[in-house]
Formats: sequence, structure tokens, C-alpha cells
Amino acid sequence: MSKNLSELSGRKGIEDNLFDKMGKLAQATGTPSNEALDQLAKEFLVGTANTYGTASFYDFLKPENKGKKVYVCNGTACLCAGTQDAVLATLKSNFKEEEIGHMTCLGRCHENSAFHMDGKNYSGSTLKNIDFNAKLSEIKDKYLVETNGKPILTKTFTSIKTYYKPFLDALKRDSGDVLEEIKSSNVRGRGGAGFPMGLKWQFCRNEESGTKFIICNADEGDPGAYSDRYLLEERPHSVLFGMLIAGYTTHASHGIVYIRAEYPESVVIVQNAIDDIRAAGLVGKSIDGSSFNFDFKIIQAQGSYICGEETALINSIEGQRPEVRVRPPFPAQKGLFNKPTIVNNVETLASVHYILEHGGQHWKSIGTDKSSGTKLVSLDSFFNKPGIYEVEMGTPLRLVINELGGGFKSPIKAMQIGGPLGGVVPISKIDDLRIDFESFSSNGFLLGHAGIVCIPKDFPIIKYIEHLFDFASYESCGKCFPCRLGTKRGQELATKAINEDYKIERRLFTDLLATLEKGSLCAHGGGIPLPIRNCMHYFGSELDSYFEV
Amino acid sequence: MKEAYINNQPYPIKEGETMLSFIKRHKGDKYVPTLCDTPNLDPFGSCRVCSVDVALEEDGIAKTMASCHSPIAEGQYIYPDSTEIKDLRKNIIELVLTDHPLDCLTCEVNGNCELQDVAAQVGIREVRYPEGDNHLEREKDLSHPYMTSDMSKCINCYRCVRACDEVQGEFVLSMSGRGFDSKIIKGIDQSFMESDCVSCGACSQACPTSAISDVFQSKAIEATETIRTICTYCGVGCNLDISTNNGEILSIQAPYDAEVNQGHTCLKGRYAFKFYDHPERLNSPMIKRDGVFEKVSWDEVYDYIAGKLKGYKEEYGADSIAGISSSRCTNEENYLMQKFMRAAVGTNNIDGCARVCHSPTALGMQRTFGTGAATNSIDDLKDTSCILVIGANPTDAHPVTGAKLKQFAMKTGNVSIVLDPRRTEIARYATHHIALRPGTNVAVLNMMMYYIIKEGLADDNFIDNRTEGFEDYKKELFNIDLNKLEKISGVNREEIRQAAIAYASAPNAMSFHGLGVTEHSQGTFTVMQIADLALMTGNIGRRGVGVNPLRGQNNVQGSADMGVQPHQGAGYLDITNPEVNARYNTFYGVDVPSHIGYKIPEMFDAALEGKLKAIWIIGEDVVQTDPNTQKVIKALNNTDLVIVQELFMTETALQADVILPGASFLEKSGTFTNGERRVQAVRQVVEPIEGAKVDGQILVDIMNRMGYAQPDYEAATMLDEINQIVPFFAGITWDRLGNNGLQWPVALDGTDTQILHQTEFKIGKGQFIFNNWRETEELVSHAKDYPYILTTNRELEHYNCGAMTRRTGNVEILKDDYLMINPEDATKHFISEGDYVCLESPRGKVDVKAKITNQVKSGVVSTTFHFPEIMINNITGDVHDSEAMCPEYKVVAVKIRKSKGKFKQLAEV
Repeated sequence: MSKNLSELSGRKGIEDNLFDKMGKLAQATGTPSNEALDQLAKEFLVGTANTYGTASFYDFLKPENKGKKVYVCNGTACLCAGTQDAVLATLKSNFKEEEIGHMTCLGRCHENSAFHMDGKNYSGSTLKNIDFNAKLSEIKDKYLVETNGKPILTKTFTSIKTYYKPFLDALKRDSGDVLEEIKSSNVRGRGGAGFPMGLKWQFCRNEESGTKFIICNADEGDPGAYSDRYLLEERPHSVLFGMLIAGYTTHASHGIVYIRAEYPESVVIVQNAIDDIRAAGLVGKSIDGSSFNFDFKIIQAQGSYICGEETALINSIEGQRPEVRVRPPFPAQKGLFNKPTIVNNVETLASVHYILEHGGQHWKSIGTDKSSGTKLVSLDSFFNKPGIYEVEMGTPLRLVINELGGGFKSPIKAMQIGGPLGGVVPISKIDDLRIDFESFSSNGFLLGHAGIVCIPKDFPIIKYIEHLFDFASYESCGKCFPCRLGTKRGQELATKAINEDYKIERRLFTDLLATLEKGSLCAHGGGIPLPIRNCMHYFGSELDSYFEV
Repeated sequence: MKEAYINNQPYPIKEGETMLSFIKRHKGDKYVPTLCDTPNLDPFGSCRVCSVDVALEEDGIAKTMASCHSPIAEGQYIYPDSTEIKDLRKNIIELVLTDHPLDCLTCEVNGNCELQDVAAQVGIREVRYPEGDNHLEREKDLSHPYMTSDMSKCINCYRCVRACDEVQGEFVLSMSGRGFDSKIIKGIDQSFMESDCVSCGACSQACPTSAISDVFQSKAIEATETIRTICTYCGVGCNLDISTNNGEILSIQAPYDAEVNQGHTCLKGRYAFKFYDHPERLNSPMIKRDGVFEKVSWDEVYDYIAGKLKGYKEEYGADSIAGISSSRCTNEENYLMQKFMRAAVGTNNIDGCARVCHSPTALGMQRTFGTGAATNSIDDLKDTSCILVIGANPTDAHPVTGAKLKQFAMKTGNVSIVLDPRRTEIARYATHHIALRPGTNVAVLNMMMYYIIKEGLADDNFIDNRTEGFEDYKKELFNIDLNKLEKISGVNREEIRQAAIAYASAPNAMSFHGLGVTEHSQGTFTVMQIADLALMTGNIGRRGVGVNPLRGQNNVQGSADMGVQPHQGAGYLDITNPEVNARYNTFYGVDVPSHIGYKIPEMFDAALEGKLKAIWIIGEDVVQTDPNTQKVIKALNNTDLVIVQELFMTETALQADVILPGASFLEKSGTFTNGERRVQAVRQVVEPIEGAKVDGQILVDIMNRMGYAQPDYEAATMLDEINQIVPFFAGITWDRLGNNGLQWPVALDGTDTQILHQTEFKIGKGQFIFNNWRETEELVSHAKDYPYILTTNRELEHYNCGAMTRRTGNVEILKDDYLMINPEDATKHFISEGDYVCLESPRGKVDVKAKITNQVKSGVVSTTFHFPEIMINNITGDVHDSEAMCPEYKVVAVKIRKSKGKFKQLAEV
């Protein structure tokens, strides 16, 4: 979080982007050469320690990534499905060991067996039919997309002309009125924290600055969630539309879609969508004769879960190490390149179209009092009907599982809902929960992204705890002491208890969880204790043998 | 008054402060333990040890927040030491200790380690975690003469990374990897020596453990005493805390409360102190007999000198004697030297190194404003929106100010304009870099002023009320030949126009200039233009504006203030003025001459003409650093008695007849005046080495021998004499100086002055005096045969002739002078990196190793004169500033060719 590095990176504007360049420099061998990093540092007037420090942070830029040709998904859903040993075995017979890396969640949770090769993702039965010697073509995955009410986010796209009409209408209205419309919808952020979107926009609008940025956080890193991928690939215009309106209401003219490296197809599709609306005159200077200018830039991430945290994401775009920043200042005050910045999640932005078309009140009337609108839920392969479901906020979890998902394929004992920092919900709690922010939090869980990953009956909970700590430790940015050290020690305690005749001291373990929860700088370290506490609470007897009496 | 609560007790809050600063203010600095927080860096929030519980009502539901980066708000209830918070801190430190060696007793920083303190404060007794992965086997980095690292001791607080970024602006340090395996790196994971580290030591000072340290015992607790004094290495005037043990200097740190340097300094100030007890220190007076120096007693040497001087005075008159004082000496010593020459000898032949550096600044600013000193302070950078840096390379020559300027230039909202033939570090970051041909400052500045007026950006109100001569000036400006000036300066006029608009449009603009302005045939004129630029745009007389020369040597401002000039006595009083003369006569109790004495170049001319019989040179290596070395040597050889008062056997000392071993800044007390007129207390840290004497005392002794009674040298009593005669020192006494000194003028009641010319100039109105650009005689006469321009410069690692810095570890970092040459020119002459280049001027030849770089444009080469092996001044010339006689080091006509190094040691031939 260096103000100087933000400024220096910002000097060249968003088109000539340091991070983007690093990504391109890594394409040939998997990591940029030291000479290239040195050159880049000179070009941007920063230190070689900075360019090297940044590159070494990311899975797909770091020196260890050199020569990697294929990546196995090690996300939670694939882990629980138990498909990845076979994937790895197949890959090992076709690649050298050092050519195989891993990626954490390719968003193929609905059919698993996921791996990444040559900038494309594969999953399900592909592995069995693949010829690694042949040039592989894209194999699009298929999943169900259904809704329990009126389709809003999943509504079929018609045409650019029809779809963007509410945007052109908005340009004729006062931008303040348009913002009021958004605020009246009470739409809350779908990225996890549930912060009211309109309020965030208002903060940014209030800042005086000639330069402001709208960032779409398309770094959907939560294993088990692929709803953002669905929107990016199937409904890209809903995201672009939301960003245009965000720009108009906050006086921002730069839009950045930050898309995770694990979703290569999304990058292509969103770029095509941008090109299409550019051709239609909906991007650029003085759009439709108004005084509103707006342009888009896609930044492709390089493999780091923490980049989903908004300040880390901003650092990432700047080419800094994606470490979490302190607040204040908030991004709406000083964000990208120290300029006022909005960071919104994909699904949040996708809600804007309906709000403008039908009015904020209309959106507010859907769902519950405090959680308005609809929510996308991702179901993994343990369901009979895995896929993306759009449900009204307040929909009973039981309904989602049984009626939409068609029930479980095989016996499960719990679900982790809302990503790795979401709660671990035992099946006994299903009837207590509805899909909305309040229902989950009052029961000691977290709605988060509402991706659902099932934990099969025979999967040891201590293994699950180890997995959670391992993930948290691997993805920790390392800035704050509790998370950097605590997640690692947590993983070690679990591993030791599993593999050795070692019993975890209970007081130490609860101290560790309290330290992570209270002490961590961001929700990464601060959030990991929640699912672990759920595990301790609901699976206490299963875990007893791993703890001191 | 707004209040918040600490443990339910109300305390007033300050707008915008953090919870940590709120608690510290009311409960003391150590009340809340911290590890990543440090006084001169922004809040970072990594250690979380400063966490506190925060509630909205008394004993209400509390949220844990890191106090270092959370702003305090009215009505908040802070619980900085609840049971939960105490547990949290303890648990965090326990985690830290799972990856930290538990070898406190044998650790370098035992007793001076923040981790150790905090661990004790939170009461940690055991580490309960079973042994896990750790980083205890990381290797030490001992590659560098000063900086060391042992990353097994690192706690990842990022203080070093932030210091390198936020203070020095160098970006040598960062973190690599991520999470548990993240670690501090230098450059691309190199050693300190391989990296681009500028050895400022900010990281070492910032580090709470011994992860980054230095070869000195800066972190050990062995020091028995810490003394605050002022650095000797440049006009910035950094405050230094010097730790000693039984009279031995252990290490140097920069105090955080220093107004000048806020906890920062450079590798010269922090590390280059080992010259002080170097075996080559001169440790006895010596008289050269039959070409050989013989050690003699002080009595003998005093008698010898006094006898000789009296003889010359009687036989040839007092004007056959001259003195060159030293800007490295204290104000009190400089005052004594000029008093010695004027009152005891009876001549105004007294000059100092300002002659060869900033004499045009003093003269030019006196002509335009009436006062030859910086109008503002460096701290004004906080309130400016534009900096104009002309002919200065502050990141090398004034590193602490340079770092501040660089910090300023890095911020995109700020405007920075650099006029320099070289692409200096500050130029790389500048908004506008005008890479003009050496010798065309006047041309470019006239063009800038032309455009400012043409664009309607002149401050008419200021011009009307505060200045004189503008209309004539404007007329002259409108007659300049833009085509010609554009051509000779080599800069597109549009670039100049844009820079002019940027400067004139800024709400507040400050200018900074260095020797690239003064060391020219039109040096004084350039200074006057810079001053006029400020007048024209109303950038004078308030915070964040002004004309701010970056003074070179540590006390060059002071030496001129004290009267080390042949035309002005102590306090810049005109010696030819009868009233002034009467005042001096009364004050000194003898008749002081009222005719102007020799400037340094005139001393050498007089010597060559046989008119100079004796010259006394203190702490100035004129042979190595003055232009046209062979001429200087001839002049000294032609002088009967050459007395050199020095620390080392310099090139000048070699030419002496008498050597007097003086004392370094560490061995005496007095005051230095920095570039912002700040008079600061220099406090003796150690006794002079055996055989050497405090320079002031040497002068006192000789004055007494010469029959002029003068009490022993003592800083406080000397200041009490000076404040009687130097008007702007009126209120300066030793006791009033305190830790941060006083900026002159200081009124009798001790009130000092940060900003000059607030309501009027010393001469009433600011003067517009026009001068047109004129090609230097050096090029008019020689450019045809010597088509390249050599311009001299400085390197960060060395100071002037290098007599001090070459006797420290700095020489391991930079071993020799080198020649910067553009790739195009190098190719043309078949010169490769590291080849010797023969530089030939009408004066002679030298060989210098080539460094091929785009820092210089084609047609220009540049080098330094830090090393006697090169003696670049063998080829610099006799052209001087037309007004102040400052030599033109910045434009030397040369031709270049690849060489085998034959002329490398011409001085020895």
C-alpha cells in the first residue's frame, strides 16, 4: 500500500498498465524474466524490488510457475467430490511433474474433474475423451440455469438496442435522480459484505476529482461459486450496463473489469461484448450526444484469492503487491491510483438493469425487507440437478436443495455455503435457513456468495478444517501478523493431529481462532474462524479425538 | 471541546488523529505496544498489536480495532487494555515468536529490541505451538560496507520497505512471495551491494529488530552517551545523534524530532564518520624543510608562522598575506579567521569556498532582493504546488532534501520542473525536464519569462507594489531572439513555454538551484533571473514559495555570513563604507583596512605575479578542486609561505610549507548555518585526536602570538562576540539554540525568521535587472577545436575532494571518478563501457573511465573530481562568472578519444 507506487503506476493511465504488462510478459514461459521486470521498473520509475515483489506474489507470474503447462483444480468442490486424484494421474501420464501446477477453483463445481490447459478450462467427462497430443478446442461446460420466480438476472438477453435503452434514457435524466433510483432499491452488495450499493456510489459521487474509476470485481475466487462466471459468460451486458450507470451517477469515466485468470473464457466473452457496444456507440466520448464519457478496460488477474478483497484488487491493478490496505481512506475516497473508486461485485452490478427498467421500488418489493431482490445460488455436483438458480431473497434453503437442486445424489453431512469464509451448515440446520443475509447471520453462518459445496458423509471434518486452514494460509497476502502466521499454525495443528499422535490443546486453538477473528486486518484471516467454529460446534464429537480432553 | 474516553475517563480529541495518537497523547508513548508503527511512516496496520476495544457507550459492546489506523471519533469509548485485548496482544506475539529465533542473549540488539520490549510488555511466558515451519535458516547478507541483514530476525512489519519508499523514495526494498513465506527482498532478491541501495540507512533505523542493521553498533546498548550535533557533509544540516562509549564513536542515528531531517539522513551523515580517527589523520604540526615535512611542536610552528607573517607584513605590507577559510569549519572559526586576517594581519584578503560555488547566489540575490540567502525553508515543500529545480542534483548532493523533492515529484498532483543538461534522478520524475545545453541557463530562463508575460501570467499586483524596473525589463525581454535561443539551448520552445506556464500558474511555486546555476560565466545573472522569475509571478514572501539555493558545504552560508569575503565583513557589511569601517575599527580595537581584498582566483594571480608572500588555507583542497590545477600549483609554489590547516595530507597540503593539524566536526563545538539560514549547535562528541587542535584554538593561539589578544576558543563566548557585530545574529546565544537552532535574522528577543521579504525587501523594492544570454568565452574561443562540452558534477558517495569520504567505507561503494558519455558519442569514438577516455582541453589531458548512459545528451560529457587519481581540474579553465568570479566548472570545451589510460595520473607526472 504505497501511495508513491499508486501515483507512479497511475501516471501512465489505465491503458498502459503495469500489471497488465507483467501478465503479458509471463505468457511465453509462465513468469516474466528478471531483465523484463527490471526494464518494466525503469519504465514505471519504480524499483525492481517492486516488479519482482509483485510477480512473485501471483500463482501465474511467480518464478515457480515457469514451464507449467497444465493446472489441476484444487477447489473445495473438486476436493469433496474426490475427482482430482484421477485427474492428476491422467495428467502425469501426459506431462512431466514440473509442468503440472494447480488452480484454486475453476468454477466447474457442478461437474468437477476440472483442469486448465492452454488458456482453457475443462471438466466433467472431458478428461476421459481428451487427446493431449491434438490441439484442443474449447469445450463449453453445461449446467442448469433456473429460477423459482421471475427471471431477473437470468432473463434472456434480447438485443443491444433493447437492452441498453434504459441506459440511454438515464443519460437524459439527472445523474443524481438516477442514483436516487438505485438507492431506493436498497440493493446490497453480493460480494459478501452486503453493503448498500447506492450508498457506496453516493460516497464516490460526493468526492471531487476529475478522475474516478468503476471497477467490476470479477475475481470470483470462492470455491463453490460460479454464478459470476455465469453472468460474465452468459449475461455480460448486465455487468457492462451496471458499470455504465455507476459511471454516469458517480461522474467516473473509466471502467475496469478485473477478471480472474482462472476464467479465461470470460475474458474473451466480456471483451467481445465491450466491442459490440462500442460499435453501437455506447462506449467512448460523449455517449449518445451526452456529456458522459466512459470506456472499459479488462484486466486479467494472475492467480490470487486475496485479490477479491477490494483494496488488494486495487493494489493488484496498480501492479503493487495485492496486500490489503488499511481503511480509511476508503476506495470511494482514495482508491485506484489514489482516485475515488467504486468496486462492485459482478452480481451486484448485474442488478442495475432491472432497477432502471422497473424502478428501485420494484426491486425492493422482491425478497425480504432487509435483503431485497433475487440471488444467484450455485449448486455443486452433489445435487441431482447442479447448476445456477436465481431465487428470491427469503427463499427457504430446503426449497433450493430439494425442489430446485433435486436433492442430494449421495449422503452428505454438511454444506459450506458462501465460500471458504462462509459457514459450515450441518444438514440438521437446513430447515432453519432462508436465502437472505439476516437468516444466515442470525444462525451463525454467512450468506456470502451463496455458493453451496457439499461435504460428503464420509469426509472427516478434521480434514475439512485442515483444508480450510491450508487454503487460508496459501492465499493469505501475508501483510498482517495474525493471518500470515495464524492460518499457517492452524493448518499445522490440524495436520499434526491427523498424521501424528498429537492432540490439539483446546485453549490454544480457541486463542488462535480469537486472534484471527479479532486481530486480522481483513475478512480473510478474520473470516476463517467462522466455518471452523461451525465445525467445532456441530461436529464436536467427531473432532474430540483430535483435541486434548 | 470534543472528547472520547479511555477506560471511561474523558479526554479531548484532535481532529483527524488516530486512536493510537489519542491514547499516546494522554497516556504516554509506551502505553499501547506497537511493532509496525514508527514516527516518520504512515500507519500500516500489519502487526495488530496496537488493537484496542472500541464501544459506542460506556462498557457497551466492543469491537476490536487496530488503533494505529483507526481515526478517533467523538464519544467513542476506548478500552486499550481489557482482558480480551491483553490476550489478543499476547497471542499475536506468541505467533510471532513461533518464527523468530529465541536467542535474545546473544543477539546484537539485546536490550534495544522492540520485539523484546513488546514481548515483555504483553507478558509472554511460553510458546505453546508445536514446532512448525519457520524461516530461521535464512542467510545473513554481509555484502555491503555498511548495511547488513539477517532475515531470520525479520518479523515482516514492513517498516524497512516503507522507509525506503516513504522517506527515501528509492524502492530498493519490497516483499516477495506471499503469506507465510513472504520475505523482504532487495532489488530482484539481491544482496545490498548488488542492489540499487543508496545506503541511507533509513531501513536500518526503522527496523525494530536486528533484521536490517549496519556494521556499526547502532542497535547495541553499549553506548554510554548520545550527543546531538550537525552533519558536516552538506548544506542541508541534518541533526545527528552520535552514540559513544568512553570517547569512541559507535554509531550515528537521525533524531525523529529534528526539524531539518525528521529521523532521516544519508550514507555520508550516518555512516561516513570513520575518517575521524583514520591512521592518516595529520597529528602534528609540520614544517617543510628541504622539501621534506618535519614534525615540530606547536610552539615552534607558531613562532615560525608569527615571525614570517610579521616579516612579510613589515616588508611587503599586509596585503601580501591572504587567507582562505573553510566552509567545513564552524561560524565561530570562520569569524575568527576573517578577524585574524582583518584585525590581526590587517588585510581584506580573505575568501572562502563560496567563491567557487555559490558566490553568484549571494551576489545575485543581494542585487535583486537585498539579501543573499534562501528566502524560505525546506519545510515549505508541504505548502507548495510546484518546484523548479535548476542546475541541481539534490538526490546526490543534498540527499535528504533531494529525497523530499523526489517525494514531491512522485505525486501526480504536483508540478515539478527541472532545468538540467543531465537526466538526473529528480529529472526522471519531473513533469517537465528541460535538458538544455550547458551554458544556456540565461537563454532558457529569458524564454520562460517571455512566455509568462506573453501568456498574461505575470502577477501585476505584486510587480506594481513590490518591484522596480519591470517595464524596461519587459521591453528587453520582448526583444530576445527566440529562434536563436531555441537553437543554442537545444530545447524546443514549446517545452519551455509549457514549463513557464506550469510555474507561473501554480498557486505556490518554489525554486531550488545549485552549482549548475552559479558555476558559469553568467552565474550571477542566472541567479538574478531566478529571483526575477519569482518576483514576476509573486512567488516571494509567504510559505511555499521563494528562491532557495541548495548550499553546498555544510557551513558555506555561515562562512559568508561571518565575513569570509574580501568585500564584506562580518554580517555582510560593506567594508568600503566609512561608517562600517569606523564600526569595525572600534569593535576590533585596531584599524581595519577599507579597500577590497583578493578573491581566491585573484590570490592565485597575485601569487603568480609575485605579489603574494603568504597564504593560509584552512580545510580546502584548492589544488584538487579549484579549476586549472597546474596553475593553482604554480601559484602556490610561487608563494613563500603556504600554511595549510587540514585533517589529511591533501593535494594542497602536499604543496604546503607548514602543516597545521586541525580538528573534525566531531571534535569541536560551535555552530553551522544550513542552506535555510538555520544556525544550529555543533556539539563536541570526542576530543581531538592526539596532536591535533580545534581549528578555532589554532587561530586564537596565532592571534595571540601576533600580538592581538583573543580569549580561548569557546562556542558560547564567540557567539556572544558575533551577536554584537552581525546584525541578524543579534538574538543568537548558545543557550537559545536548543535542538533545532534558529533561522536568521534573529531579533534580540530570540524570535527567528522562517520566511524573508514578507512585506518588503531589504533594499525596499525587488529589482528587475535584465541580462541577455551570451556565449561563454570558453566556447567562443575553443568550441571549434574542442567540440564536446564537459560539465562537472557530484556523486552521492563522496564529498568534494573526497579527503574525508575516501577514508571511509564509502570508497568501497564508489571507487573512482567516471565519465558519463552518451551511447551515440561512445559509438562514434569506439568507446565501450569501462574504457579509458582521454579528455583534452586547452589546459591539458586526463583519462577517465567511460560509463555509457543516456543521462547525458550527445555532445555533453560529465564527470566528478572526488579522486586525486583523475584530477579533472587539470583541464577545467580560467573562465569565471563575470560578476562574482566563480569558476565555470560547468562548461569546459574538450575533445574526446579512446585512450589507454596514459594520462590517468597526470598529477603525478
